[in-house]
Amino acid sequence: MADKKRNVRINGCVAAAQAAKYADVDVITAYPIRPYTATMMALAQMVANGELDAEYIVADSEHSQLSIAHGAASSGARVFTGSSGVGVQYAYELYSPISGSRMPVQMMIADRTLDPPGDFGSEHTDALSTRDMGWLMGWSCDAQEAFDNHLMAFRIGEDPRVLLPQMVCQDGFFVSHITTDCELPDSGQVAEFLPPYKHPYPLDPRHPVSHGPQIMPEQGPPLQLERARAMEGAMPVIEQVHDEFAKIFGRRYDPWVEEYMTDGADVVFFLQGGHGVTARHAVRHMRERGAKVGLVRLRTIRPYPTDRVNEVLSKFKVVGVVETNMGLGSVSSGGSLYAEACAALYESDKRPLVVSFMAGMGGEAIVLKEFYWMTNKLLEAQKKGKIEKRTHWVGFEE
Amino acid sequence: MATITVERQMLPMLQSPNQGARFYNPELPETEPFVPGHRTCAGCGPSIQYRITSKASGDNTILVGPTGCMYVANSSYLCTPYNVPWAHTQIGSAGSFTAGVAAAYEAMIRKGKWKGPYPNIICEAGDGSASDIGIGSISGALYRNHDCLIICYDNEQYANTGIQASSRTPYGGMTTFSPPGPKVPEAKTLFPKDLARMMAAGHPHCYVATGSVGYPIDLMNKVRKGLNHKGAAFLMVYTPCQKGFVYETPRSIDLGRLVVECGLYPVWEWDPARREYDYSFKPATMRPVAEYLKLQGRFGHLHAEHIATLQQFANDQWRMMNVEVPEALVRAADPSSHLDMASAEAAAAIAHTV
Repeated sequence: MADKKRNVRINGCVAAAQAAKYADVDVITAYPIRPYTATMMALAQMVANGELDAEYIVADSEHSQLSIAHGAASSGARVFTGSSGVGVQYAYELYSPISGSRMPVQMMIADRTLDPPGDFGSEHTDALSTRDMGWLMGWSCDAQEAFDNHLMAFRIGEDPRVLLPQMVCQDGFFVSHITTDCELPDSGQVAEFLPPYKHPYPLDPRHPVSHGPQIMPEQGPPLQLERARAMEGAMPVIEQVHDEFAKIFGRRYDPWVEEYMTDGADVVFFLQGGHGVTARHAVRHMRERGAKVGLVRLRTIRPYPTDRVNEVLSKFKVVGVVETNMGLGSVSSGGSLYAEACAALYESDKRPLVVSFMAGMGGEAIVLKEFYWMTNKLLEAQKKGKIEKRTHWVGFEE
Repeated sequence: MATITVERQMLPMLQSPNQGARFYNPELPETEPFVPGHRTCAGCGPSIQYRITSKASGDNTILVGPTGCMYVANSSYLCTPYNVPWAHTQIGSAGSFTAGVAAAYEAMIRKGKWKGPYPNIICEAGDGSASDIGIGSISGALYRNHDCLIICYDNEQYANTGIQASSRTPYGGMTTFSPPGPKVPEAKTLFPKDLARMMAAGHPHCYVATGSVGYPIDLMNKVRKGLNHKGAAFLMVYTPCQKGFVYETPRSIDLGRLVVECGLYPVWEWDPARREYDYSFKPATMRPVAEYLKLQGRFGHLHAEHIATLQQFANDQWRMMNVEVPEALVRAADPSSHLDMASAEAAAAIAHTV
């Protein structure tokens, strides 16, 4: 299906569906859970309309969804799936087998807070809990970025130097269900950017292979090292693909972090995903009032851009990590982003103070007022030269 | 959008069925998709089944192996017994992974991304996978009617993990999760899940059948019927486990026949076109269950009343297939017609193994 370049207003879910359509995926597996469902609803309609030729499988659970995706990718098909919240976790068993067998399955995540109790809001804990399973992972902050990230993720994950599955995440509702401007490309541009998927060792009767035989413990380390190297080796590919994307589509993203008004900043917010949009406004307002505050938004968390985070965050006096995830009993007794940011900064000569903010929990919006409050905490820490406590639960303190 | 029609394979039926294991059938295909070199036990029922069924499907086949004996004992990294493509999947993913393979080939052939006739896609799931943890995934694959064959090689237990009870373990079967003891003299107290009938009743559009390694030609034909059926098929096959059942190694095929003759493993087909069971398969003879039980250490602890209970179960199975139960077998359902295994001379060897 040839599509012309056009400007549309769509939400993050539809943007993800559009990317899958442009990528001409062969197999789609769906299982309903809010909010990512809207992506699968859009794809179901495209298949029903004949706009996309794909096997659309309504699975019997998320575990089955991921297993179907695994089987289809192992056979040589380009596969698209997704989930939210507890659904992401129901499929947990499959994350390691899929990355370990080096199948570049693509999964769309629209975050949802984990139970209990049932909550439609967005927290990043669902996808983050799988972050060490060997999947490429990053967050988008609006529909356009979601579309672009999905397209780039296919290209990165399917690169024969990488061959890893991709989790392309967006905040539930804040991104998945808020409509923004989005430019959809010409099919010709996508054809130029994304070659057809070709796995080197698919399950093909003409070239028999055995996938995933049982190993002895001493055969494990080299296989694990290989997977670790694939993750590390993805870093230059990610940079190269972002360059090529910019050349073909005209939108340039820093693959690792977005810096917003960080020139001359003393304190910065460090976060990922949709709250970055509110953070930009808050930073601009605070700047107008004279506060030297900026924003660093993490775009890719796996592979973690350790050196880049070190280099960027070392420029500032105080870093405020906005978590939007649960790390119960973790290093900071807050979220899980803090520990990784601190670890990345450990080797820095100019280590900033780092504070963790538990905000946006349960999927509540982080409003401007809260960003102002957090900015004041950061400025206070800068003035005192020390932090009064590691983790603040925003909205529960004066 | 130009779509390419998917070409399906049709495999011929073998003649001279049910001649028994020692009959040489000149029609047997020479191909061996499953070759020696694996680490299964001597006399392993599931691996005999694997050889028979993969021979029936031939070289244009893709095998899916959920975790179980036929994963762990067959495939050892850096060597493989599979001459056709094979992939491991998780124990709960039998139906779903297989569905993914089937969907991929439907799409890739239709879209011109893969050229050739649609492959035979076979999943080899143990009874733990098929009747317990993966039952939902298999039901999903059957319900959605992917063109594939899902085989449950039924050794009536989780054998690879060290003989634990599954929902296919028979009443009275000793496993490490259902040991006999003073409080529970019969060991397993529950009767097995009637998995194949569940699959037939719940997915009447599918070809469903049961079989046994004791009847290899019948088994091969059922594999081919399942593969020729356009859509999903399910086959449950009795495959004795020497390690778990505790019997003399050369008797695997004998057990495969005895279990059917004793009425403990009904062999039938579900015809999806006529929507009815086909009970035309008849073993050469009917026997009391004790003849089967006395050969296996896993039943060595049974008391007379437990043997009678199993006979009653077998008689019910016969009646479900519209077979009239002979007077002798009706009498055998009375505990007074049995001895405890431990005091029976015929079972002395196996009673000792407990």
